[in-house]
Amino acid sequence: MTPTARDPGALPLAGAAHGEIDAAAVRLKRRSQAVLRRSLHIRTVDTGSCGACESEIRLLSSPYYDFHRLGLFFTPTPRHADCLLVTGPGCRAMDHALLSAYEAMPAPKVVVAVGACPLGGVFGADRYTRGEITDVVPVDVVVPGCPPSPLALIHGLLLALDRIEERITLQEGEQ
Amino acid sequence: MNEGESGLTLTQLARDGTSSQPMVSNLRMSAAAAGDLVAKLAPIARFADMFVRPAEHGLERVLVFTDDQSGGYLRLTCPLDESFPVPLSRVLPAAYQEECELYELWGVEPGGGKPVNRVILPPSAETAEPLRLPGGDRLSSEVRAPHVVQGEAIEFPWGPIRGAGQESLYLGLVTTGEELLDAYLAMFHKHRGLEHRMVGQTLARALFLAERCEGLGSVGNALALARAAEAALGIAVEPAAEVTRCLALELERIYHHVGSLAALGAATGLSVGQAEAEILLEDCLRLNARAFGHRYLFNLLEVGGVRRGADLAALDSGLDRLEARFESLVADLLATNSYVDRLEGAGTITADAAHRLGLVGPVARAAGVATDLRRTHQVSSASYVGFRPAREQAGDSLARMLVGAAEVRESLRLVRHWVRSGTPLQDDWAAPAPGQDHAGGPAEGLGWAETCRGEALVHLEVAEGRVSFARLRPAATRNWRAFDDALRARNVFTDVPIVEASFWLTVAGFAR
Repeated sequence: MTPTARDPGALPLAGAAHGEIDAAAVRLKRRSQAVLRRSLHIRTVDTGSCGACESEIRLLSSPYYDFHRLGLFFTPTPRHADCLLVTGPGCRAMDHALLSAYEAMPAPKVVVAVGACPLGGVFGADRYTRGEITDVVPVDVVVPGCPPSPLALIHGLLLALDRIEERITLQEGEQ
Repeated sequence: MNEGESGLTLTQLARDGTSSQPMVSNLRMSAAAAGDLVAKLAPIARFADMFVRPAEHGLERVLVFTDDQSGGYLRLTCPLDESFPVPLSRVLPAAYQEECELYELWGVEPGGGKPVNRVILPPSAETAEPLRLPGGDRLSSEVRAPHVVQGEAIEFPWGPIRGAGQESLYLGLVTTGEELLDAYLAMFHKHRGLEHRMVGQTLARALFLAERCEGLGSVGNALALARAAEAALGIAVEPAAEVTRCLALELERIYHHVGSLAALGAATGLSVGQAEAEILLEDCLRLNARAFGHRYLFNLLEVGGVRRGADLAALDSGLDRLEARFESLVADLLATNSYVDRLEGAGTITADAAHRLGLVGPVARAAGVATDLRRTHQVSSASYVGFRPAREQAGDSLARMLVGAAEVRESLRLVRHWVRSGTPLQDDWAAPAPGQDHAGGPAEGLGWAETCRGEALVHLEVAEGRVSFARLRPAATRNWRAFDDALRARNVFTDVPIVEASFWLTVAGFAR
């Protein structure tokens, strides 16, 4: 079996009671966000997108959106990255590259899944694609849309940093 | 008319064939006879595609040729189990990519012991099932054409994950430090198996997938697929819907070339030019959204017509501002010597290479090849009145940028003409087009469109309203064939992003 970052055996809290894990997770999340919230360096990974999400991502640094004013920056190396911005349906041929990029990032780190593809909204799981990238790396924030506009992307990034309030939780969305 | 030394033309050669749809002739013959014919066709026609399809009596190989002077396609079919007397790519270099694909998909060797590259299956696929190999045979684990990098040169690996907002692809740059000696591309990390997914699906679902083949070319690819389905099922498209499709196609072309300018700004380190182009690109995308409800014009087409009309008032009010900003940007760029100098001579493609590799679209037109389906392969006569194709001779990045600028001007003129001259266009929300249930017996159709990157081709077979076979050939599939050639033509390391931005192809289109 291919090891993934989702492998529960890798978590030090494995075996602890659910309540303890939840409380520890909340504390950890708060501390990570406190570390990250002033400035965030972003590494992008395309796992098989049609290219439209990439176009919207490129526009994040354009004068209309200028995400640098919010302390957000692209970085060419995962070693400097706090955030992994992932597009595409998780093509299996990209598994290794995606996981390597994730593992090369220093902790704390967040993963933002961009568009309908990494949510499984365009392709299912089959011999070509994973369907959902959560099978390979853990996802903290999802930004739906086909493609999501640059404003939606900025919203998602600020959400990942806890600089804005979540309007709807995953549980509410599923109901 | 494109004539070889013998005075033959594609039209004459196609005369003996049958025709199942206008502008398409079919010839069926043995592989030996096909080999002779291909040798005759190579100098006088453009090789457009090759694929394998299942037929009643086993598998068949289909080759598609076209004539860029007189228009029309020739589909050459021969049995797959017969091999060609010589490897096809020896007489038809453009077909090498397809030869590699056929080996991986069907286990067909090119013949003559010619090595093939692995292009479809990921390198880790030894344990995966073969895709469509008859008999369930596995491919041998090593199908890559061996290449040796030695002496003072190294292969600098770049990818598959690259810079911010760049698509995944592996680029092996062979260099001694500054000069680029060679380049190897591996492009199928993003292969999503779109053609395979379409089989058994409804036409609406196939159209949805075709749009996502290349997000930055959604209208062009969807239009080619819709036209293939319409040809197969004999559905006529209302002239108003046809012009509306062309309107969307030209809006796509405008934002495509502006996007290329933004990428060229980034590649040359010209921040102001990049920022100006990005402002213009955002304006184009917002105009798309106001006109058709989506920044990248998704979900617009359907088989038989379009799903909605354009908001003409919104389009009309945005065009003049767009044009003024565009002209000002291009004038400023061309007056910046440091920018023009970087583009000049970078990634040169000769006219001969462009023909030999079967290049299409702006890349071919910048090398002096007259190819534009809007002039020669028009589906409807009403759409492109007074159309003037762009053309340059130098074949370098500057020529491609100039072709792009000329095409934006021409597209703006066409859009303005359609919007302001009272040309009938689709009314707001379209009524369901005729033939919505798409019933009917097995039929096949070839569809094409001059997308922003050049000719997109779709071969579609339909049975009982569902796709039974699909072959997508976006323009990117053809033009990436020339990318390594362009890099080899006396460039340095830092020319790579410039050549890539001036080609402005998508990896998604190639990998499908």
